[in-house]
Amino acid sequence: MTNGVASRSARDAERVPWIDAMVLPSAAVLAMVVGYPVVYTLLLSAQDYNLLGTTPERFVGGGNYRKLIDDATFWLSLSNTAIYTFGSVAIAALLGLALALLTENVGGRRGRAVRALLLTPWAVPFVVVAFLFRYMYLQNGGVINALLLAAGIVERPISWLNVSSLALPAVMVTNVWTMTPFFFLLLAAALAAIPNEVIESARVDRARGASLIFSIKLPFLRNALLVSSLLMIIANFNDFAKIWAMTQGGPGYSTTTLVVYVYRQAFENFEIGYASAIGVVWLLLLLAFAVAYLRVLRMK
Amino acid sequence: MAVAMGHPARPARRASQAVQAVAIGLALLWSLAPLYWMLATSFKTELEAARLAPTAWPHDLTFANYRGLFTGELPFPAFFLNTLITCLATAIVAVIIATPAAYALSRARFRLRGTIAYAMLVFRMLPLVVLLAPLYLLLLHAKLLDTHTGLVVGFVTFGLPFAVWMLKSFIDAVPIEIEEAARVDGYTRFQIVRKVVVPLILPGLLTTATFVFMEAWNNLIYPLTFVTTLDKQTLPAALVLTFTGQFKTDWGGMMAAATLTTLPLMIAFFAVQRSMVRGLTSGAVAGA
Repeated sequence: MTNGVASRSARDAERVPWIDAMVLPSAAVLAMVVGYPVVYTLLLSAQDYNLLGTTPERFVGGGNYRKLIDDATFWLSLSNTAIYTFGSVAIAALLGLALALLTENVGGRRGRAVRALLLTPWAVPFVVVAFLFRYMYLQNGGVINALLLAAGIVERPISWLNVSSLALPAVMVTNVWTMTPFFFLLLAAALAAIPNEVIESARVDRARGASLIFSIKLPFLRNALLVSSLLMIIANFNDFAKIWAMTQGGPGYSTTTLVVYVYRQAFENFEIGYASAIGVVWLLLLLAFAVAYLRVLRMK
Repeated sequence: MAVAMGHPARPARRASQAVQAVAIGLALLWSLAPLYWMLATSFKTELEAARLAPTAWPHDLTFANYRGLFTGELPFPAFFLNTLITCLATAIVAVIIATPAAYALSRARFRLRGTIAYAMLVFRMLPLVVLLAPLYLLLLHAKLLDTHTGLVVGFVTFGLPFAVWMLKSFIDAVPIEIEEAARVDGYTRFQIVRKVVVPLILPGLLTTATFVFMEAWNNLIYPLTFVTTLDKQTLPAALVLTFTGQFKTDWGGMMAAATLTTLPLMIAFFAVQRSMVRGLTSGAVAGA
């Protein structure tokens, strides 16, 4: 395409341009609405910037970051985020795997119907899921308490979302419900993609049941598992809708994750500078995590 | 897949089949019971939905909850239209912008190719909320706050990187020979994309658009922050904002609204369910 530059070295370098014009629209949009905000966030994070403040914003350097270190709520929301994300992703991945293995040999129309029905929770909007579970978790008149009472598992109705030790697990159950179909979908596809010869020769070698699953099938699912959990981990770091619509981060700070905390700092306290600093720290953590993860993914 | 058919039915086999059937039944119950509960509640009267001992099915079947959505004080049809319009616009815009990029990343050789492909993935990982404050200020200065256009800009940002990845995987599957034939016929590169590649990856385009659509439909934080007038609000945000008011005790009405919020997403999802798997699996794998 572009050939204005005289080349000194390899002929290849002459023909390979730096960029393809077709990427430009996407790159431009992303640079404007992602690149610019990221740079802006970095700048904001070094300022004392309150949208409602009477004093104009001023440069405070690392001030916001120093404040962060002593902020117990920040550390709590960091650990809540980790528990929420890794806990629900791990459980959902295991459930999805179990479902994929369970329905693997169910063929025909019945198989298709079962698979489609198992996928439905994924197509329910997060906010709807949140309100639905909130209704089911109700202390008075909630169906979950009614069932537990009827089965004699609890003696009196539990106020799931209003007890700090129970709220996070309760939200996680909701999260697992929406997420499991995603793992099921990807893992079932990966299972179906295992070459028949592999399974056949394993059978000849008398691999059955558990050993067939653990030594033959699981290695084939490794990448699908890693990729799908990476996608879900990222999605969960960002999850706002479910938590906000169910508990708004409460009771106390027991379900406050980083998203909720940043949101509250920025749009309820209007502490844009401080919120940005939290965002930057979080961004770095996420990038470190993503790099490590991609490393593992590329390893064979 | 059909291995189970070939063997004679031995007792052990039959027992394991029974266990499997029960397990599948439980899995279906876990997946569908909450949805049943939503539907059932949406047909209960306000009183029945709030009963201390919940009824398993609507004893006093009523459509009042659905009627109430269209005749009540809240502009529910407007919420619905707002969401539909912004999400559709997002899907269309994202796919249009993403297609050339996906094509270039799939076919063309250029030096920044790997870097850009990687950057797309990294963009995807950025926490939404971190972008929120600057994006808010950006829209504020561009006078796009509290407009549907501003909302679409926000949604597209979030959907674009993954759209590029998904589309790339669909384009990768198109044999290059077809394009070479078109090139011989004198098509320009842009014509090739428009007249040869796009028709071939139509299912992929649809799947990607649906995925972006679903993500936008699920997005709560952007409308909540960027839209300030209730009349312009999207469904998810409107549900959150009004829940404390109108729906506080009216779970039947709430569940009717929830059901209608779910419907479009459910339809979109099942329309493209199959190619969704392919787009997700291949699109998700890193490394150009």
